[in-house]
Amino acid sequence: MLALVRPESWNLPLFFHVLGATLTFGATATVALLGFAGLRGDPDRAGWLRGLAFWVGFTVLVPAFIMMRGAALWIVDKEYPGGHHEPGWVGVGFIVTEPGALLVIVMVVLSLLAARRPHFRGAVAVPWLASILLVALGIAWFAMSAKPGS
Amino acid sequence: MSLYQWLLFFHVTGAFFLIGGIVIAGILNIAAIAKDRRPSEIAALYGLIRFAVPLIGAGLLLTLAIGLWLVNEVGYGYGETWIVTAIALWVLASALGNIDGKYQRQTGELARRLAAEGDAPSSELRARLRNPSALAISYGSGLMAFAVLGIMIWKPGV
Repeated sequence: MLALVRPESWNLPLFFHVLGATLTFGATATVALLGFAGLRGDPDRAGWLRGLAFWVGFTVLVPAFIMMRGAALWIVDKEYPGGHHEPGWVGVGFIVTEPGALLVIVMVVLSLLAARRPHFRGAVAVPWLASILLVALGIAWFAMSAKPGS
Repeated sequence: MSLYQWLLFFHVTGAFFLIGGIVIAGILNIAAIAKDRRPSEIAALYGLIRFAVPLIGAGLLLTLAIGLWLVNEVGYGYGETWIVTAIALWVLASALGNIDGKYQRQTGELARRLAAEGDAPSSELRARLRNPSALAISYGSGLMAFAVLGIMIWKPGV
């Protein structure tokens, strides 16, 4: 019932956190779609789609992920100053976003290489990594919204 | 977990589906209009936008249905300003999104036809993609969804 008694000063970081999370979800899904589409068809078309996947990853996904994670730290600092008595659902967010950040970096680097090298075998990993990140984001939004155990 | 926790989870899931779908469609639309592309490339991008449509539909349904259930469960009034404003924006965004969806479907069909007829650049397709009224409707409906997100967090008047 936290949402019912939330102090006014938590609203801005919460808005940026949820906005960043929804943008991260949409951008990750777009990278997955472009990545899967870039695995088939003629090499020119595939290279163009992989290039788009890189640009979406670099210009939308990375800033959205930083917004989500930065705003999460902002609101946790307000809600649990000094990190004291953090409930388990807060920890789930960190468990998902810390390896998630690594996943995003690997995905963006692989999509850049895939866009530049038509026969780059790592191209196949990009949409699958994006799909794994989508599942992880789903787990995080379950923990953040339902707050099980609280 | 309580009923409130489950309802909140499904309500937030609806918001993720709705805004996520809008983001997918928006990014692919920007990719289509940012450069002068061949009709086959436009057709490929519009083919991918189709995947966003069920997400947006499910998101619209979940946000409204579970949102109304939450209003009852928590004990808010259906006539409270922030709830009425959010529902009005939801209805307007849905109506504009429906108009935009029909327009974009026709644009995708034109791109596919032109691609099959030689894939030559087309001024008609370019004009449809960059039609200011269509873009205003498209991005207006998307921005309204983001505004509803803000209303849900600030709950003005509560």
